[in-house]
Amino acid sequence: MLELKQVSKTYRVGNQDFPALKNISLTIEENAFMSFVGPSGSGKTTLLNLMGGLDRPTSGQVLFDGAQLESMNRSELAQIRKQHIGFIFQSHNLLPVYSVYENVLFPLLLNHLKEQDARERVMALVEKVGLTEQANKKPAELSGGQCQRVAIARALIKRPKLVLADEPTANLDTENSFRILELMQDLNEQYGAAFVFSTHDQRVTQFINREVRLEDGAVLWDKAKNGNGELE
Amino acid sequence: MLIQFAIKNFLRQGLRSILNVLITAITIVTVIFNLSLLNGFQARATLNMVKTDVAGGHYRIAGFDLLSPTEWEDHTGLVPDSLKALPEDQKAETLILQGQIFPNNRLYPVQMRGVGPGQELLDLPLQGLKRFPEKITDQIPVVIGTKMAERTHLKQGDSVVLKWRDKFGAVDARDILVVDVVKLLNPRVDEGMVWLRLDHLQDMARREGEVSWVAVELFQGPVPDMEFHSVDDLMKDLLILLKNDRRNSIILWIILMFLAGISVFNTQILNVFKRQKEIGTLLALGVESKQVVRIFTWEGAVTAGISVVVAGLIAVPLFMWFQTVGLDVSHLEESTIPVRDAIFLEFNPFEIFYSITVVVALTILVAWLPVRKISHMDPTLALRGKAIT
Ligand SMILES: Nc1ncnc2c1ncn2[C@@H]1O[C@H](COP(=O)(O)OP(=O)(O)OP(=O)(O)O)[C@@H](O)[C@H]1O
Ligand SMILES: [Mg+2]
Repeated sequence: MLELKQVSKTYRVGNQDFPALKNISLTIEENAFMSFVGPSGSGKTTLLNLMGGLDRPTSGQVLFDGAQLESMNRSELAQIRKQHIGFIFQSHNLLPVYSVYENVLFPLLLNHLKEQDARERVMALVEKVGLTEQANKKPAELSGGQCQRVAIARALIKRPKLVLADEPTANLDTENSFRILELMQDLNEQYGAAFVFSTHDQRVTQFINREVRLEDGAVLWDKAKNGNGELE
Repeated sequence: MLIQFAIKNFLRQGLRSILNVLITAITIVTVIFNLSLLNGFQARATLNMVKTDVAGGHYRIAGFDLLSPTEWEDHTGLVPDSLKALPEDQKAETLILQGQIFPNNRLYPVQMRGVGPGQELLDLPLQGLKRFPEKITDQIPVVIGTKMAERTHLKQGDSVVLKWRDKFGAVDARDILVVDVVKLLNPRVDEGMVWLRLDHLQDMARREGEVSWVAVELFQGPVPDMEFHSVDDLMKDLLILLKNDRRNSIILWIILMFLAGISVFNTQILNVFKRQKEIGTLLALGVESKQVVRIFTWEGAVTAGISVVVAGLIAVPLFMWFQTVGLDVSHLEESTIPVRDAIFLEFNPFEIFYSITVVVALTILVAWLPVRKISHMDPTLALRGKAIT
């Protein structure tokens, strides 16, 4: 579904080039539930941004369902994100003026659905993430874990083909992390969306079925889970 | 949807929003107040001029110029029959001559203005002169305005020596009797003026039947030996004066608009700076950057919309109250502006519409200027809060 072909990203800092990603080639399956791991600065966020068309590679190609992202203009990229990609950020980045319900509704409105047609669907997902009682609260009135669950619902409501989650558990305690990962696992199975995380949280490992290790902008290894639930 | 989002965000700014709305609303109210007051002022000044002096225009003896007192005597003449035939409420025959009075032994040059005692065209409080016979018997009865009375220290019942020249150049001197001190609406026909009966003045100057001009209610077509001066012509200086006032009020408007603009501009800059993550999020969700620009512009523009409503809420009671008291302009007595009573607002719907449109358009413009840069923002940097530093 998503293919990276020899993708490199170089940042210019002062008058020096800094390679954040070096020649990365990867294929992401339709139903992937995988994670990029690696130390801070290894290029995880940069990679996710490239995959989501939020940023452009310095060289190489990103193919989304066979379409080349680098040949698209800003507006076309926005269309792709609007329709097919769900972002979840380390800090939830909810819209502060909107209630839980409205935050989850927002992507549907962007995709030109009418509120009355979307209402049930939104409330069903809000229920699934366990926030029915909080539906009319503003983000400021919620805990970090609750906010992150809203962010997940917001990313999933439009049934995207690809969910990109940049350290979704970084701000959460163990219990909340597990709940969120279980939730995403559920949704992955139910909706068939591909989930790609970035994390340096070891707790994530037990949930995923593929782990790609990045170091200094390069893939160190790429392991898939075998039948015994072990990575190899 | 975007507008609703903008309104929610606008409300979130709380105090800053209120401040922006207030200053913008005050700008609107002040501008409309100022323009309407000037309208009222102009209307009142014009009306006073018309009522006390100009009427519907003057037929002046050819060559007469009010600003050349030394030539007044050279430009008098008989009233043509066509004007003479007009009824008293359609004409006011007027003779203007130079004279000097000597209150407290000081010389005080005056304009002697004789007006037909029976005229009903001009609104002049000269009833005091009516009861005197056509021929002067003892002292010459005159009426003066309050300002003139103050300047010359003359009171009702006082007598003072008046000197003048008759048609043949002979100097004459006689006592005048101040039969009335009156309040004239128009300070221009007060100071330096002595009002007499036309027949008395003609008699004194041996200018039987002669006038300087005939004020008329309506233009009567060309009249031989006379020049018609229209209302606009006679009030040219006043209209120029008022135009200057209008210019001054536009300067005030610009200053206020500038303040309101800066305030909105500032809020918008702060918005873009403080809400970079939100901008990044919107972009990541697939909102196009030009839509984000529109959302943020709307947020500022909502200020304009709400300001118009608030301005209405302020203006209606304020203006209604103002119309009951008016603006006291008695201090203008010292100037040559023909207004001495209170003035009131006079609204011009086009002006109001125009002012509001300009304020709203400018607010939207300054709301847009700082958010333009969103359209070039790198979403990944915005998400990290580092797009603008
Ligand atoms: N806009 C930028 N300009 C310059 N350098 C950048 C920029 N964005 C990222 N980098 C650099 O690129 C490298 C990779 O950054 P990236 O954010 O992808 O790392 P990461 O793996 O997500 O790290 P972390 O775990 O801390 O989030 C880092 O060294 C970072 O300093
Ligand atoms: Mg990162």
